Amino acid sequence: MKFYYFHLMPYVMEHDEPSSWVTLSNRHYDPAAGHTLYHQYLDQLEYAERLGWDGLCVNEHHQNCYGTMPSPNVMAAMLVRRTSRARIAILGNGLPLRENPLRIAEEIAMLDVVSGGRVISGFVRGIGPEYFSLGVNPTHSRERFYEAAELILRAWTEEGPFPFDGRFYRYHYVNPWPRPLQKPHPPVWCPSQGSTETVEWAAKRRFPYLMVFTPIKRIAQIYGEYREACERHGYKASRYQLTVNLPIVVAESDAKAEALARENALWVYNVGLRMATPFYQPPGYVTEPSLRRVLANRPKLPTELTFEDLVEGGYLICGSPATVRDRLRVFADELEAGIVCSGMNAGSHEKTLEMMQLFAEEVMSHFREDAAVDETAGVGR
Amino acid sequence: METQSRELAVRGTPVRLLTGGAGPPLLFLHGAGGGGRWLPFQERLAERFSVHFPNHPGHAGAPAAEWIEHISDLAFHYLDLLDTLGLGRVHLVGASFGGWIAAEIAVMASARLSSLVLIDPVGIKVEGWIYPFLFGMELPQLVSTVFHNPVAALALAPKDQSVDTLVELYRQSAALARVAWNPYLYNPLLRRRLARITTPTLLCWGRHDKVAPPLCADAWVKEISGARLVTFEESGHVPHLEEPEAVAATVTEFCGHREGAR
Repeated sequence: MKFYYFHLMPYVMEHDEPSSWVTLSNRHYDPAAGHTLYHQYLDQLEYAERLGWDGLCVNEHHQNCYGTMPSPNVMAAMLVRRTSRARIAILGNGLPLRENPLRIAEEIAMLDVVSGGRVISGFVRGIGPEYFSLGVNPTHSRERFYEAAELILRAWTEEGPFPFDGRFYRYHYVNPWPRPLQKPHPPVWCPSQGSTETVEWAAKRRFPYLMVFTPIKRIAQIYGEYREACERHGYKASRYQLTVNLPIVVAESDAKAEALARENALWVYNVGLRMATPFYQPPGYVTEPSLRRVLANRPKLPTELTFEDLVEGGYLICGSPATVRDRLRVFADELEAGIVCSGMNAGSHEKTLEMMQLFAEEVMSHFREDAAVDETAGVGR
Repeated sequence: METQSRELAVRGTPVRLLTGGAGPPLLFLHGAGGGGRWLPFQERLAERFSVHFPNHPGHAGAPAAEWIEHISDLAFHYLDLLDTLGLGRVHLVGASFGGWIAAEIAVMASARLSSLVLIDPVGIKVEGWIYPFLFGMELPQLVSTVFHNPVAALALAPKDQSVDTLVELYRQSAALARVAWNPYLYNPLLRRRLARITTPTLLCWGRHDKVAPPLCADAWVKEISGARLVTFEESGHVPHLEEPEAVAATVTEFCGHREGAR
C-alpha cells in the first residue's frame, strides 16, 4: 500500500457562527498565528517524506477555517524545493473556479519541471461554497470543468501554438513554456464526491479516483461503479486508481487514540465542515439525478456526526497501531484500495510529529509489500 | 374566476400557460418563486384583461430549457410566445425578475407593447446599491428580505418537502442562476438601453423593498422617459403579493387608460 500525507492546513478555532465557510468573518484570522501554523504544517509535510510517506498532498479551498490553502500550487512550490523523493499531489486545482485555466497548465508544468517529475495533478470542481466565495456561476461548473480539463491536457501534450475555442475559454495561441517533464503529462487524479458523471469521466481516462471524507459503505459502492466503468472501457482498474482519504489517529492504546480523536478529529466534521444550508448544493452544481440520489439517502450532515458515527461509518481510523493496521487491512483487502491519503492532528505540532513517527514505524512498515512498485505507472494518463 | 391551464411549445420550448379573464391581452411575467400560482393579483387583473401568465422555463415544475443562457434569451422567448399566441400588442406586466425580463422585451420591441408595468424590477445596476444575494440566504432571512409583510410569503410556500418538490425547487434556482448569478440580477447593457422604451410605463414600488429599495426606482424613472412611479406604503419587494388589491387597481387604471387612448 502507498501512503500519502494529506494536509488541510486548518485554522482550528471554535465559533458560534452558522457557517465556517463563505461568511465566517476573516477578522477571526490572526496572521501572526497563521505564520506559525503555516510553518508547522509545512514542517509536518517535509517530515512525512523523511518518515517514508510516498506522497504529500495539498488542496484548494477558499474563505473558511477548515483549510487555509486557497492556492495549493503555492504550497506545492514550497514543498518541491524542500523535498527530493516524495510525490507532490495537488488535490486539486479547482478547474472551473479559474477564469484562465491555461494558468493551471503553466503552473503545474513549472512544478513538474522543478520537482524532476514528481507532481500529481488533481482536477476538481471545487465544493459548493467555493462558488459563493469566488462568484463563479455554479450552473456552468460541470461544463467548465470538462472544458478546462481538455484545454490543460492538450496544452501539456500537443505541440504549440494551437488555437482553442471553447464555450468558456478561448485562445488563439496555446503554447505554454515550460512543458511538463513527465510524459505524456503529470498523472491526473480525480478527487470527487461520487457523481455518476465524474466516475465515468475518470474511468474512461484511467484517472485515479479519490473519495474524500466519505463513509466506507459509500466508498465501496462508488468503487464498484468505477471498476465497472473501467471494464466497460476495456481494462481492469489498477489498485492504484482507487484512493481513500481519511484522517488517522494512532496512539499507544485504543483509549488514548479515542481521546485524541474526540479532541481533534471531530472538529473537522463538526466545526470545519459546518456550512449554511444554501452553500452545500449551489443551484445547478449537481444534476437532478445526483440530487435525487442524495435526497433519497439523506446522509447525516458533517455537523451531525458523532465520534461513534465517524468510527462505525469509517470516516476516520482511530486506535492503537494494531487496531489501525486491522482497519487499513479492510481498505487494502476488501476495497482493494492502493493508496491511503491521511492527515493527522494530535492537538499540537510536537505531538503530531510523534504520532506521525508512531504511524510510520508501527503501521506503515507493515504494508510495504509493494515498496518497489511505481503507483503512477500506467495510470493517470 | 375560471382559469385555463395549458401546455404549448414555443419554438420547441415547452411552456405552461395559465389564462383567465376577458378583455385586451395582458402578459404577466412572474418573479422567482411566483410561477404557476393564480393569486388575487391576477384575479383582479382578469376582471378587465385577458391575462396570459406563463411559467418561466425551469420554474414552478416546468422543464428547464438548456438553451437559455442569458436574460435576452428569455426576452426573445416571450416575444416568440406572443407570436405563437397570435397576440399583436399586449400590456406587459412584470414583477421583480419578471420585471427585468419585461424591460429587456421593452428595449427590443416597444412597438409590441400597449403599456409596460414594472413592479419592483431588478435588472439594472444602480450606483450605491448591490442587490442582496438571495441565493446565499436561509429561508427566514430570505423571507424577511423579500417581504415587508411576511404573512404574504405563505402564498409562495412549497406544497410539501417531498423529493419531487425539492428537485423542482432546485431546478427553479438553477434556471434563475443560469441568467442571474453573475452579474447578479442585472444586465450591464440594459440601463443605457432603457432610453429606447417609448411605451407608456408605470413603475410600482414597495416602500420597504430591501432587495431593490426605492433608490433603484429613482434610477428607472430617470432612464425611462415619462415613466410614472407609484409607491405602496405597506409593501416590501413584492407589492403585488403584499397589497394585491391596491396594486391591481393601479395597474388596471394605468393600462385601461392606455387602452382608451388608442
